[in-house]
Amino acid sequence: MTTLTRKLLRTITSGWGQFVALVLIVMLGVMIYISMNTAYSNLSQSQERFYQEYRFADYTFTVVKAPESVISRIEAVPGVIKATGRVQKDIPIVKAEDERATGRLTGYPLPQEGEVNRLHLLSGSWFEESPAGNIGVLVDPQFFVANHLTAGDSLEVIAGGKKVVLTVIGTAVSPEFVYPMPDAAALVPEPERFGIIMIPQIQAQQILGYPGQINQVVVDLAPGADETAVVREIERILEPYGNLASYPRRDQLSHAALQAELDGLKTMSGSLPLVFFLIAAAIQFVIINRLIKTQRLPIGVMKALGYSSFQIIGNYTGYALLVSGVGAVLGIITGIGMAAGMSQVYAQFFNLPSTIGGINLSVVIRSVVISLVVGGAAGLFASRSVVRIRPAEAMRPEPPASGKHTLLENWTWLWQHLDSSWKMSLRSILRNRVRFAITVLGVVFSVCLLIFALFSNDAVDYLVQQSFTLSNRYDYIVRFTQPVKYEDITYWNRWSEVQKIEPLLEVPVKIKAGDRAEDELLVGAQVTGELRKVYDMHGQQKQIPEEGILLNKSTADKLGIKPGDEVEVHTTLGIGPTRTERLRIVGLNQPMSGSGSFISWETANRLLGESRVVSAVMLKLDRPEMKEVEKRLYEMTSVSSVMSPQREQAAFLQYMDTIIVFIAIMVLMAGLLGLAIVYNTSLMTFQERQRELASLRVLGFSRREIAGLLRKETGVQAVLGIIIGLPAGKAMGNVLMASISTDLYSMPAVIYPRTYFIAALLALVFIGIGQQLAIRKTGQIDMVEALKNRD
Amino acid sequence: MTPPILMSLKNVSKTYIMGEVKVEALKTTTLDVYEGELLVILGPSGSGKSTLLNLMGGIDQPSAGEIFFAGKPLTSAGEKEMTNYRRREVGFVFQFYNLIPDLTAAENVALAAELVHKPRPVNEVLEEVGLLDRRDHFPSQLSGGEQQRVAIARALVKQPRLLLCDEPTGALDFETGKRVLRLLYDIRQKGSGTVIIVTHNTAIGAIADRVVRMRSGSIADITINQNPVPPERIDW
Repeated sequence: MTTLTRKLLRTITSGWGQFVALVLIVMLGVMIYISMNTAYSNLSQSQERFYQEYRFADYTFTVVKAPESVISRIEAVPGVIKATGRVQKDIPIVKAEDERATGRLTGYPLPQEGEVNRLHLLSGSWFEESPAGNIGVLVDPQFFVANHLTAGDSLEVIAGGKKVVLTVIGTAVSPEFVYPMPDAAALVPEPERFGIIMIPQIQAQQILGYPGQINQVVVDLAPGADETAVVREIERILEPYGNLASYPRRDQLSHAALQAELDGLKTMSGSLPLVFFLIAAAIQFVIINRLIKTQRLPIGVMKALGYSSFQIIGNYTGYALLVSGVGAVLGIITGIGMAAGMSQVYAQFFNLPSTIGGINLSVVIRSVVISLVVGGAAGLFASRSVVRIRPAEAMRPEPPASGKHTLLENWTWLWQHLDSSWKMSLRSILRNRVRFAITVLGVVFSVCLLIFALFSNDAVDYLVQQSFTLSNRYDYIVRFTQPVKYEDITYWNRWSEVQKIEPLLEVPVKIKAGDRAEDELLVGAQVTGELRKVYDMHGQQKQIPEEGILLNKSTADKLGIKPGDEVEVHTTLGIGPTRTERLRIVGLNQPMSGSGSFISWETANRLLGESRVVSAVMLKLDRPEMKEVEKRLYEMTSVSSVMSPQREQAAFLQYMDTIIVFIAIMVLMAGLLGLAIVYNTSLMTFQERQRELASLRVLGFSRREIAGLLRKETGVQAVLGIIIGLPAGKAMGNVLMASISTDLYSMPAVIYPRTYFIAALLALVFIGIGQQLAIRKTGQIDMVEALKNRD
Repeated sequence: MTPPILMSLKNVSKTYIMGEVKVEALKTTTLDVYEGELLVILGPSGSGKSTLLNLMGGIDQPSAGEIFFAGKPLTSAGEKEMTNYRRREVGFVFQFYNLIPDLTAAENVALAAELVHKPRPVNEVLEEVGLLDRRDHFPSQLSGGEQQRVAIARALVKQPRLLLCDEPTGALDFETGKRVLRLLYDIRQKGSGTVIIVTHNTAIGAIADRVVRMRSGSIADITINQNPVPPERIDW
């Protein structure tokens, strides 16, 4: 070991705390970088592979009923590689005690080879070639687990108006059911009450009464095909069969959910670690800069002895490289651990068959390179001043630090009311502007992160408030297998438990404006109803119009229309003929999730050429959940599902519990960052002013007063950092929310005042700890030092 | 008539342990300091004079013996009492001034003034040291002599009963040094406090009421100066 290296190690050991604090920041950066990038690459690779191997559809078309022969006509369209026709229908599942769940019964043509949206068997056995006796079906793994099923269990469903018993033979997934959700209105999957039932096509056709017919076409397009033209052609072919809806992959629910997660991860994995690296670099820059200033004399001596500037610069840069190196090693260990944890959570949420996990070597290498390059650059940049040190000059004592009047002093009133210690602190801060700026910036970022970590809780709370307290005021929503006369169910009002019932008529439509068309679900509700209110994402209440449509803003944007415009509305209910009517857009609604287009119940009826029919009713009971009522409802074969917002809320909150660990980790990281920065700055301030502080001790300052001086200095930076950090955190939340919001979800970056308060408080606590760790050193002030000669 | 005793050191000694070596910086020493006198402690480096000053100033504790200030023991005092002692009773002037670089001359003085209940007006003290016109200058904008005069003002503003000066002219040229000594001499003449100057410069002994000579960690002799001379008349 050269003496120069030994000197470097001694510099590190004498400022051990500082070194550790820096290593900590680099470690956090590497950890985040590795965990997020590994999780991202694993998840997106699994997605890509699964989509490709199992031929995830580029486009999905829904029709009322079409002969199977239509498939060959669609496959003849140039740009179509493969089309698969199938039947799919949501049917009630009868569970124990007559409880209901919804099954998305989906038929799969056998053999599966080459088909679009193919199945991947996870457990159990494949469909038997010639089934004897009971019909064997596969279900999605979440439903399987949530309902405690085992292979061989029977599943009772209601299809075509009668009860059918199916036998569960195993579990399977397909690219379209990676994240199985019933519809866009659902916030989270509720696997107990919604499952995918996969069944051979022929049996599906039998059960549902579609002999030789299909109601859905999934299409694999050739790369580079003119999507619009191909889709228009397919729609033309399907037109006679009642083309109800068509949507591209990006609007597919499961894909949208997975993609939103990937997009969020990508945004974060790119920017978040970089900030940690840059902050670490900035602090290293300041520390090395200072080190060189205080070691002017030894540097001068070394130069006089014949060491080159280059060697000395290398030595100081070595400090930064060592920080980066040690930080990277620790970051790799923790990052790989965290990546495994994240992958585990993703595996819980997403049905991706190929294993998510494993170490991504290129990510690890990249993290090491980035941290070393950033650290090395900071070291080189900070130590370049070594070149300017001339031995003879360096060996003379340095002139006293120059005091300067600051701009702040022009504010005479304030300045006159400050005591000397404040003046001292403020001038010292303003003298070290770079350090001041870096500290403030570090605290700003730490506070940003804190808000960022905490606000997801607010956003969720807001969503729950909006969705479960404000908007949906009913206790049950009962959906029927097909529309029924409201008068036929008004007798429910006489049930003793029921306070009130209100009708709903949900009409799927295609809205046409000019040459553009969009599928939309119009919710018909009573204008004066009390059980379903409409609130937009900003918490503004919207009135359901008696005439015309309160239209979802994203749909309006896609159609390029505004309030006052008239549009053509085609019903796509799938029963009865398609009806067309012109309706006026009376307002726009920007909902947080799900469908957000409303019409009056009367308008909905008129659209369908009916009067007083409902597709669902909402019930308000004496108590939120009443098993007796539920049971009574389930006994009716016309009822397809009974949903309770309370239950949905519980499922949602349970889902949120899983992310609490991430919030805690984020809070800890943010806090440690703030702590490390403030610790370093406080320590530097202390070290530079040791002699000054010793003199003050001799003058009669108590230890507390000395600590107070230091506290003022870091305190100003911390408070400033917090003040800037709070709105900056909000801005960061907005950016993130915008980056992950889709047609299906959009959430405002809601941050409650309480969260700002908690973030500020947490920041103060962490900063206080960092400060306290540094201030402990004031106990070591040696007063005799003040009297000694300057060397 | 002997003036009342302000401070007395009884059998005080100080031993430092440096690694495995014991260094007896101050051997058993007994000394009384009278109220209002100008005392000069003379000695070469390593004679124990700075150790003695540190003990009297309450910034160091003796290894053995007792120190009384105005009749109260300092040696059994705790950290808080010692801080209060330095704050209320002692003014310190360092060889290298040790002014706060971020504070102007006036603010450096005010900093000390804020420590006590009844400080003297800052401007009055600055005028006394002849620096009122430089009150808004920072230490880096002042000469060594001016910095030292600010340091003296900083000590005086607290109205201490004891002013301790550690080589106050050590870093100054001859003329400037004498101006600083004049200030200290005036304090004694006005009867506004007890002044102790520690120096290796034997010439300064001439302005003192008493001179304590130190050698190898103990007091060699104490001489009483019947006719102290004003600083202008000394030479080195």
